Amino acid sequence: MTSSVLPSNVAAPATATPANKQASAKSAAWRRRLPLLPALIFTIVVTQIPFVLTVVYSFQSWNLVRPGSRHFVWLQNYVDVFVDSQFRTALLNTVLLTVFSVLVSMLLGLGLALLLDRKMIGRGVVRTLLITPFLILPAAGALLWKTTMFDPTYGLLNFVFGGNTDWLAEWPLTSVIAQIVWQWTPFMMLLILAGLQSQSKEVLEAAQVDGANRWRTFASITLPQLSRYLQLATLLGAIYIVNSFDAIFLMTQGGPGTASTNLPFYIYQRAFQGFDIGQSSAMGVVVVILTMIVATFALRLMFRTFSVTGGVK
Amino acid sequence: MTTVDTATPRHAAAPVPRKRKRRIGPISLSALTWVIAILFVFPLIWMVLTSFKQEADAYTDPPKLVFGPTLDQFAGVIDRGFLPYLANSAFVTVLVVLIVLIFAIPAAYALSIAPVKGTTNALGFFLSTKMLPIVAAIIPLYVISQNLKLLDNVWALVILYTSMNLPLAIWMMRSFFLEVPTEMMEAARVDGANLPTLLYKIILPVVAPGIAATALICVIFSWTEFFYAVNLTAARAGTVPVFLVGFITSEGLYWAQLAAAALLASLPVMIVGWIAQNHLVRGLSMGAVK
Amino acid sequence: MAEVVYADASRVYPGAHQVRAVDRLDLTVPDGEFLVLVGPSGSGKSTALRMCAGLEDVDEGAIRIGEREVTDLPPKDRDIAMVFQSYALYPHMTVADNMAFALRLRKMGKEEISTKVKEAAAMLDLTKYLDRKPKALSGGQRQRVAMGRAIVREPSVFLMDEPLSNLDAKLRVETRANIAQLQQRLGTTTIYVTHDQVEAMTMGDRVAVLKDGVLQQCASPRELYDRPANVFVAGFIGSPAMNLGTHPVTEAGVTLSGLTVPVPRGRLGGLSEVTFGVRPEALDLVSDGGFELSVKLVEELGADAYVHGELADGEKMVVRVDGRNPPRLGDQVRVGLRDTEEVHLFHPETGLRIP
Repeated sequence: MTSSVLPSNVAAPATATPANKQASAKSAAWRRRLPLLPALIFTIVVTQIPFVLTVVYSFQSWNLVRPGSRHFVWLQNYVDVFVDSQFRTALLNTVLLTVFSVLVSMLLGLGLALLLDRKMIGRGVVRTLLITPFLILPAAGALLWKTTMFDPTYGLLNFVFGGNTDWLAEWPLTSVIAQIVWQWTPFMMLLILAGLQSQSKEVLEAAQVDGANRWRTFASITLPQLSRYLQLATLLGAIYIVNSFDAIFLMTQGGPGTASTNLPFYIYQRAFQGFDIGQSSAMGVVVVILTMIVATFALRLMFRTFSVTGGVK
Repeated sequence: MTTVDTATPRHAAAPVPRKRKRRIGPISLSALTWVIAILFVFPLIWMVLTSFKQEADAYTDPPKLVFGPTLDQFAGVIDRGFLPYLANSAFVTVLVVLIVLIFAIPAAYALSIAPVKGTTNALGFFLSTKMLPIVAAIIPLYVISQNLKLLDNVWALVILYTSMNLPLAIWMMRSFFLEVPTEMMEAARVDGANLPTLLYKIILPVVAPGIAATALICVIFSWTEFFYAVNLTAARAGTVPVFLVGFITSEGLYWAQLAAAALLASLPVMIVGWIAQNHLVRGLSMGAVK
Repeated sequence: MAEVVYADASRVYPGAHQVRAVDRLDLTVPDGEFLVLVGPSGSGKSTALRMCAGLEDVDEGAIRIGEREVTDLPPKDRDIAMVFQSYALYPHMTVADNMAFALRLRKMGKEEISTKVKEAAAMLDLTKYLDRKPKALSGGQRQRVAMGRAIVREPSVFLMDEPLSNLDAKLRVETRANIAQLQQRLGTTTIYVTHDQVEAMTMGDRVAVLKDGVLQQCASPRELYDRPANVFVAGFIGSPAMNLGTHPVTEAGVTLSGLTVPVPRGRLGGLSEVTFGVRPEALDLVSDGGFELSVKLVEELGADAYVHGELADGEKMVVRVDGRNPPRLGDQVRVGLRDTEEVHLFHPETGLRIP
């Protein structure tokens, strides 16, 4: 096997002809690719085949309720998607949901991380407590909030704030955001805590000596250091939160009306309740494209701050 | 040894101890942190409390804090057939973690220590697979599963979850690999290690915490996955989330039993997460460093 | 400009076994002096420096800067500037911003800040690096930025915590001289910590030797070399180290394996043995007299050579000889004192110098 740590010219073959050298350099390159192949092939098969099928279905008018009427309509489904006002609502809700969930959970996570970044009694216990919401089943969390927090008669929120607001009916999107924020704050907190604890003690002391008070040190020294952690948190969080399904399915079923319907739920509705495979597939493809556009911008922004090279070791 | 200071006169008096008890501020901050933490996890605390209640005590107005505890709810959950679902979840999760690690570690190796051309493209590709909303792929997946006789079969979930977790696992393992000092590997090479020895005896022990962190993340995301589990499995291969859904589709909400079920459903991952907290933090932050 | 006074200051780490990292340090640094705190690892020198900076608590005693008691003041109110061993530059700021940070905090005008930063940069030859970030600088350049950050503040006291330990040997020697010159020019009181006694001797107006948190001696380099106050200082200062050994006292004086060094009876006041010290530089090869030395190792350094050998009773000695014709391994040579006055006597139990 070729040496992969030392420079590759150490393992160059002794034969002198350029053709041989090229051939064995090529085979060496393929051998290096070998470890990557299982994962790559597996992923391609399992993700791309369904994706291709989704694209194919998106070009068809296919409703399970009317079997036999399945035929190609090409871009018609896509046109329908763009004129569909409910799709736009779902899109808006998805954006609101993602942006606010990520923002609020990040702020809360930052606050909690700052509180935890000190020596205190029972620090480990507090941290253990605080990460738990991230560890429970999102489905369980959703059901939990639905029954114990949001319920108009028996819920804790009404017990504390008085009144008998039906939170899920009157404030559906906000309630869902609250539940998601609760679930994801620990994740943000952990990431930010790692960032806080990776600060160099001496740099903080230098700031102290230079005359910075705690707020100034935080703003001028800590925050810039944290920015890469914050960006990672945003990226990871957004990827998962955009796909939120559990909370909406279990708490509001997208309602009332379409007030809390997000894109994943809307697609689900069209496919499993409307049985419209073609339409829902087209929506799926549109979502993929939109996500990729947003993600490309976001990643480009991120990678300007810290470079991701192709591995240099 | 006593001091000899040839330049300054000595103070002969006894030292003045200082009472530097300016710690009042931090104590109240600690108390505040505790209060906030308790408040934040209060829904969970409530869930645990409720799971020990009789059904009548569970939904009362105002909510009851004091009650006669019972284990009936837990028994009821198990009676409703919880254990097979638990077994399915465990089976799926363990398998997924194993397979993901088996695929991800070599892949990450090829993308870091022994880089190949097109590494950035490969990484980008893996990341892009997470852009497809899982909901959109359900139809083709359902059709395929039906054709392959994989409906209501744990293997469908194993395959799907593996593909869902691979991108993140590769990303994480890669950043752990990038942390292995080149000199350590070169020293091993000079000592005569071939590739397998290098990998197993030198590199893997160093990235072991990273493997633990990656495994933990996979456990969390596999155990808690809801959508595919609910739509592609039923009574035979159902996992724990499927079991939970059963609670809202039956005649009504049995709150205490629901709490017990939710607690039992989440307990395994909670325990694993508590024990491996530090690995979790390391794992989550690794991506940030690279 | 100000004087610094440690008034019986101590730093005690609490716990089952209280660790007195700095034990009743009593030291006055006059205005404008360059004082070096030197000692082995764990001697408390960095802790003492940080106590002056306000980064370590003062558990006993007090610290004064100028006429003010600063013991309870936070670092920013003490009018000190510090150079850290790892430089501690702000990684996301340019060199100019690193140096301007403290000034901006004091709400100085932009014009004034710019002038001061440029001046300091010129002094340290950093002008062309002002727009770079720390990661684009070499170790030596980063060190200069750390100094620039301190200079620009024009504080009453400079505190430096082993600022040269991360530099390579040649750069270290160069920078050492630059720092000394800079301090002379600015005239600011400076407390400088190092573990390298050569650095201490060449840079300090006075040197304070610490061991296990206790001040051993604080004096000029000359004084430390000529009249070390105890065995520890004697063995710590000077390179190579002083030859030290405990020997019996006789009527005539101190006996060293055949050689008797005359010492007036009165001096040794009833001791049966004494710790005897003599520097390698004070010994010479002689043709007769002296004591026998069996050569085990010869270090040839060009102009000088150091002969490591063993006496008849196994005691080890180092002798400095002319580098042009040193003895060879295995030779038996005779060694004598250059001057019987160049002998240091210490109490065998307390280690204190016997005057």
